[in-house]
Amino acid sequence: MKIRVRYFARFRSVAGVSEEEYEVPEGIKVKDLIDLIQKKHPKFKEEIFEQNEDADVNVSRNGKYVDFGEELEDGDIVALFPPVSGG
Amino acid sequence: MLSDRELERYDRQLRIFGEGGQEKLKNARVAVIGVGGLGSPVAYYLTAAGVGKILLVDEQTPELSNLNRQILHWEEDLSKNPKPLSAKWKLEKLNPDIKIETFVGHLDEGNIGDALQDVDVIVDCLDNFETRFLLDDFAHKRSIPLVHGAVEGLFGQVTTIIPGKTLRLREIFPRAPGKKENFPILGATAGVIGSIQAAEVVKLITGFGEPLANKLLIVDLEHNSFDVVELE
Repeated sequence: MKIRVRYFARFRSVAGVSEEEYEVPEGIKVKDLIDLIQKKHPKFKEEIFEQNEDADVNVSRNGKYVDFGEELEDGDIVALFPPVSGG
Repeated sequence: MLSDRELERYDRQLRIFGEGGQEKLKNARVAVIGVGGLGSPVAYYLTAAGVGKILLVDEQTPELSNLNRQILHWEEDLSKNPKPLSAKWKLEKLNPDIKIETFVGHLDEGNIGDALQDVDVIVDCLDNFETRFLLDDFAHKRSIPLVHGAVEGLFGQVTTIIPGKTLRLREIFPRAPGKKENFPILGATAGVIGSIQAAEVVKLITGFGEPLANKLLIVDLEHNSFDVVELE
């Protein structure tokens, strides 16, 4: 099935594109998709999750905020955005 | 009742939410936590809008490297006036009809209850999530709406937390990023996000329009996008 991934803010620069399509297996979850994204764009390994405690990612599926355990369906649009903290 | 002077001063916005809305602003007390890049435009626009009492909270004194974005602090305030006091004298010149209150110090669990007593709205203009979560907890304890904003580079985010109705800040940002001491930031980014926060406060108080409740606005000025993510 196909998933469209959109990158926001700093992630757009990391990916080098604003959005792209992924061909993924049925039943895939957000965290599995993140793995695929990290494989395609190794730079994300430094940006997201366990590899860097200071980094973070928020995820939305079809415009709604979801957690990493959310299962995806064909045609979903998944957006990744890094929360910022400055004031 | 609004005076003739107030009717004239706020004429252009009375056309939006009427005298009733303006009286609500006049009777409101808003706490601006952090008087830096975000807090400057927030405090400025709330002062201009006629919010009756504005409480400014910050522990720092302006430094030269603050001045690219913290527009309420000027050369003459450097290393002299703590940020709440630096902002206060200018805001009082802008609008002498309202009251600017100050708290110079660091908020913690021990003093937040006294410091933020009787506020109607809290505006998060902080630079770290540790203190943001303190605000989040306090806002829920006292059922006070909290307008969150944050910036970095040309990016920013805004959401409005309404206790009992929306997700908490802790739930939206469970793995909050650590504090960055010298993060990159363009002044205009703070201007955009702070202005949106000020509009949120006015909407909450007047009841006009729809606040960003359970909606996260993500602003990317680098690539020209404004996106709203539904949080529930």
